Amino acid sequence: MKKTCIFQDTEKTENTTDLLEVADRIYGPGQFESHAVLFADSFDRLCGSFHHIIRVAEGIVDRYDPRGICDILENLHKKSGFDSILIPGTSMGQMIAPRLAKRLQTGLVAGVTDIKNQGDHIEIIRPACSGKILESVLHKGDGPLMMSIRPNAFAYTPGDSLQTVVFAYTEPVKSCSAVTRLHVRKNQHTCDIRDSDVLIAGGGGVKESFSKLYGLAEALNGTVAASRKLVDQGIAPRSIQVGQSGKTVSPKLYMALGIHGSMQHMAGLRQIESVISVNTAVNAPVCSLSDIVVQGDAKEFIDRLMKKIAVYRS
Amino acid sequence: MNIICVVKFVPDVDSIVCDVENSTLTGKNARVVLNPDDACALAFALGVKAGDPDCFVEVVSMGPMSVRPHMEDLVRLSVDRGTLISDPLFKGSDTLVTSAVLGRYIATRPFDCLLTGNRSLDGGSAHVPVQLAETLGLDQMLGIIRIDPHRFDSTRAVFEVEDEKTVTTYEMAMPGVLSVTRQSGYKLPYVSLSDMRRDVSDELVIITSQDLGFSQTEVGPAGSRTKVVKTYPQTYEKKDRHIVGTDEEGISYVFNFLKQKGFLVR
Ligand SMILES: Cc1cc2nc3c(=O)[nH]c(=O)nc-3n(C[C@H](O)[C@H](O)[C@H](O)COP(=O)(O)OP(=O)(O)OC[C@H]3O[C@@H](n4cnc5c(N)ncnc54)[C@H](O)[C@@H]3O)c2cc1C
Ligand SMILES: Nc1ncnc2c1ncn2[C@@H]1O[C@H](COP(=O)(O)O)[C@@H](O)[C@H]1O
Repeated sequence: MKKTCIFQDTEKTENTTDLLEVADRIYGPGQFESHAVLFADSFDRLCGSFHHIIRVAEGIVDRYDPRGICDILENLHKKSGFDSILIPGTSMGQMIAPRLAKRLQTGLVAGVTDIKNQGDHIEIIRPACSGKILESVLHKGDGPLMMSIRPNAFAYTPGDSLQTVVFAYTEPVKSCSAVTRLHVRKNQHTCDIRDSDVLIAGGGGVKESFSKLYGLAEALNGTVAASRKLVDQGIAPRSIQVGQSGKTVSPKLYMALGIHGSMQHMAGLRQIESVISVNTAVNAPVCSLSDIVVQGDAKEFIDRLMKKIAVYRS
Repeated sequence: MNIICVVKFVPDVDSIVCDVENSTLTGKNARVVLNPDDACALAFALGVKAGDPDCFVEVVSMGPMSVRPHMEDLVRLSVDRGTLISDPLFKGSDTLVTSAVLGRYIATRPFDCLLTGNRSLDGGSAHVPVQLAETLGLDQMLGIIRIDPHRFDSTRAVFEVEDEKTVTTYEMAMPGVLSVTRQSGYKLPYVSLSDMRRDVSDELVIITSQDLGFSQTEVGPAGSRTKVVKTYPQTYEKKDRHIVGTDEEGISYVFNFLKQKGFLVR
């Protein structure tokens, strides 16, 4: 039985099970034994989804210390001999995965968005060159298969509930960082567009009327997002940019207002149920991905739709 | 203070064109530029040097000999020493090998701080800085948007890191590896007119695989644990779209769709 190890980022606990989908794609559902590694005090809803849960006891390591965390993962690998180690591609994950790969002298593929099982080998897919191309990567050598997974790129549908064995990790770590957090302040834009089911996204076509999107977002219980055009022009903050150099999002509804749909923008769209695009040009690339294309001026569209919603709710 | 900037020259991705119809990439001879994040890291280092004449700045890059003129241009920017690590054997190295090569050279040099870019435009994995730090047994931080110039010396550095929800200020004991993003906005100065044609060959050192004592099997594709087997343009599945206008009929259609899908709760 193949063994896969999945690390849980404390900041993004809800995405941990999605990495099981990656393992499913590599080995086939039910064909592997899963080990989750997490911090003891982080809320875990993983019982029943994983075969083993390894809870790192409190006080063993600082949760923001990649070197200490690598110690633990390296040690666990020495004991269990994982066939694959999957790390979420979060800020922390990006500092842990390459270190661990170096220690284990194994290959690592970054920001994986797809897996293709070709029978005798698997192809690991990741975007490169700012999303203009996809690379298909092979893993060589006998080290464990390591990947960092782009957040939101995979979605897991739970299967039968498993009998989970929980284990407490209490061994002290050897290396630790000489890094201190002095101060943490909230980013002005605290709402993460990746957490929203409804995204109202604006691009070059709503340059002058961008503020109107906030009203529509509120009416639909959604969040405002933007293309890079508006970010570069200083109209929208970088934290809400969708795309290759922005974020990958998978809302249920994506409304693209005055967005052309360049390669780099589309690279940020994943598993979206419904897309509605509003564009003066019906041939904009985004339109070919849409369930509904509204041909016309986006500002006018917002005004009229808002009016209709207001009437409905009154 | 000694600062080493680790930089990479990358194809200017804007000049690469994807031919979606034929699934090919054109522009193989795309223009080469200094990776934007790396330019910011170097700009910060030169700023420190401008305020402290004792500061020594070395720029290290691993790449083909064709980037030599670009390295010379950097040396013309009051950089004290440029090092190009170049060998045909290195072609096709993955990040594990790249960081091993860079690490072996850097370990022979004096430094208080290593500055790198956050990620490269072409590969964009952000692996090299982290693996370089691991090779040298140092701390490392990605995503730096600002380094406090008043709290940056051979003992420690204070800097800000931005992620989704927060901006965090950290202090790291030096030596360590700091990876700076484009969002920092640090800008390289222009080469002064008098430096434009200055002969800098003395200030640029070329290092080969042999100089570093690597065997053929340790570097290039032979030493790498990952291999890119093919590349192709992004494509997306097309949907059966329904086209409407912004008239009453079109708005009603959208409204009903939203209602039906449960996005419109009263
Ligand atoms: C390295 C690199 C990385 C990049 N990363 C990203 C990224 O992460 N995210 C991203 O979004 N982009 C990214 N880009 C930029 C990308 O290539 C495009 O330039 C950008 O997405 C264009 O934004 P846009 O579609 O909003 O604007 P435009 O290209 O200006 O398109 C505007 C659209 O609005 C329509 N329009 C105009 N007026 C109206 C109106 N009144 N009502 C309705 N529609 C109207 C037009 O028909 C057009 O389709 C990147 C580029 C590079 C080179
Ligand atoms: N060949 C190289 N030579 C020197 N520095 C490099 C090289 N490759 C990557 N780097 C450094 O590592 C950073 C991240 O690159 P990457 O890991 O390719 O995303 C870059 O911004 C550079 O500072």
